[in-house]
Amino acid sequence: MSLGPDRTTFPVSTDAARSWRPPPRIASRSVRRALWAVAVLYAALAVFTVDVDLARVAEGLTRASDFFGGLLRPDFVTRWTDIRAGLVESLAMTLIATAAGFVLSIPLGLGASRNLAPAPIYAVCRSVLAVFRAFHEVLVAILFVAMFGFGAFAGVATLAVATVGFLGKLLAEAVEEIDPAPLEALTAAGSPGPSRIAFGVLPQVMPRILGLTLYRVDINFRESAIIGLVGAGGIGATLITAFARYEFESVSAILILMIAVLFVGEPLSGRLRRSVS
Amino acid sequence: MSDAAVLRVDDLVVGYASEGEVLRGLSFALEANEIVGLIGASGAGKSTLLRSVQRLVEPSSGSISLRGEELTTLGSTELRAARRRMGMIFQEHALVERLTVMENVLCGTLGRTGSWRAIRRRFDAEDVVDAFRLLDRMGLSGLEDRRCDELSGGQKQRVGIARALIQNPELLLVDEPTASLDPAASVRIMSLIAEVCAESGLAAIINLHDVGLARRFCPRILGLHEGRIVFDGPPRDLDDAVLTEIYGEEAVEPHVVGSRQDDVPRVD
Repeated sequence: MSLGPDRTTFPVSTDAARSWRPPPRIASRSVRRALWAVAVLYAALAVFTVDVDLARVAEGLTRASDFFGGLLRPDFVTRWTDIRAGLVESLAMTLIATAAGFVLSIPLGLGASRNLAPAPIYAVCRSVLAVFRAFHEVLVAILFVAMFGFGAFAGVATLAVATVGFLGKLLAEAVEEIDPAPLEALTAAGSPGPSRIAFGVLPQVMPRILGLTLYRVDINFRESAIIGLVGAGGIGATLITAFARYEFESVSAILILMIAVLFVGEPLSGRLRRSVS
Repeated sequence: MSDAAVLRVDDLVVGYASEGEVLRGLSFALEANEIVGLIGASGAGKSTLLRSVQRLVEPSSGSISLRGEELTTLGSTELRAARRRMGMIFQEHALVERLTVMENVLCGTLGRTGSWRAIRRRFDAEDVVDAFRLLDRMGLSGLEDRRCDELSGGQKQRVGIARALIQNPELLLVDEPTASLDPAASVRIMSLIAEVCAESGLAAIINLHDVGLARRFCPRILGLHEGRIVFDGPPRDLDDAVLTEIYGEEAVEPHVVGSRQDDVPRVD
């Protein structure tokens, strides 16, 4: 038996139904046409502005084949000592920077929560977090390399700053969304401030923050390669050296190992994430 | 005016910036052992009254005293000390769902446990014994280490009651304890609250939207209408005329507000 409307007792005008079309997203036909015209014009201009020099393309093709050829023959052996040192350094930088960033992000994140912090503290913490997120890691790394010299310390400082900016902001947002009732119950029981945060706030946000921290481990490992390019240590330093020596086989080995690290880390962090929720 | 009053509220006015005055000059006193049911339509100011006694909302004027100690003028440290003496039970239990039953009950002791000890979960051994005793009294033995999000609504509310009682309060402030419970569970929770009050000579103010429950469990009833007390007396004086005054014209049908005692389901 059909559960739908009885078609014999409720005849529907099929003409109206069959000629029905969903209304267009942009109601005005002239605006629609104008948008199409702008898009076509932009595409045409874009194609003409890119100055394609066929001679240089041909020249580049041979180099590209060298490059891709090298990538297809990864060489883990020749530079193994450098590669291992770079990978270990990157992993160490990642873990130290994530741990330091996590610890520092808690006070800043709590201070940047509108529902906990008084207005002046809120403003200061929000500003600090905004500044920490304002510049790309590469810029921060250049600054820290200039301040502390080449090497892993500048890298750790860079990643820690980025981690604080990331986790602090997300912690503040999580805290602003907590259920206020348990916190109020603790207030009503005469609890002092630190206990209210430890029992009423952190249990509500910690699973999410730990999950985000594990995700940040991923990001920091990838970033550690990038900031190595500007002299902040880690596998990035090894990578750019290999590039500079045209050792594309070693480059390939490094890239494969980075992918391998992230592959191995993925199920690990997944399991950790499930165990904290 | 005797000094035996546990709680004395005098000419209390509470206003919110957005809604104007919610309580417009309330006065009443609560003796030791006294259980008062607070009834009134939504928005009449029942919750606001309880919350202003705890100063979770600040009164605009008037006085609130707990065994003679004026609460409205206390600084933050003294206020925390005063709050420890009043146990509050909340509408939706207000537990920290990710913590265990035991941790939630011990949250009631945070007012007297130092933060540093509490954060490391170093609770006073006496408090732990107390918590076990209370959980047993609440019929929750064996659930100590369960997370609260695994409990039923009635069980959660029992944890909330244990959390309030472990404060060793002189007064219980109970805000719609049965709002999220089915009728049978509501009666069980109300019986439990009435029993523990009788056992330890506690005074209590209980907000109830169910007049039947108020009649059955509260020897004294305060009726609130638009921020004023319009009835103060025993349940037998709560007739249809009074209920109309409290709830308005539409609510006179007995089954709407449960003005008859036999509307309340019995639990044996």
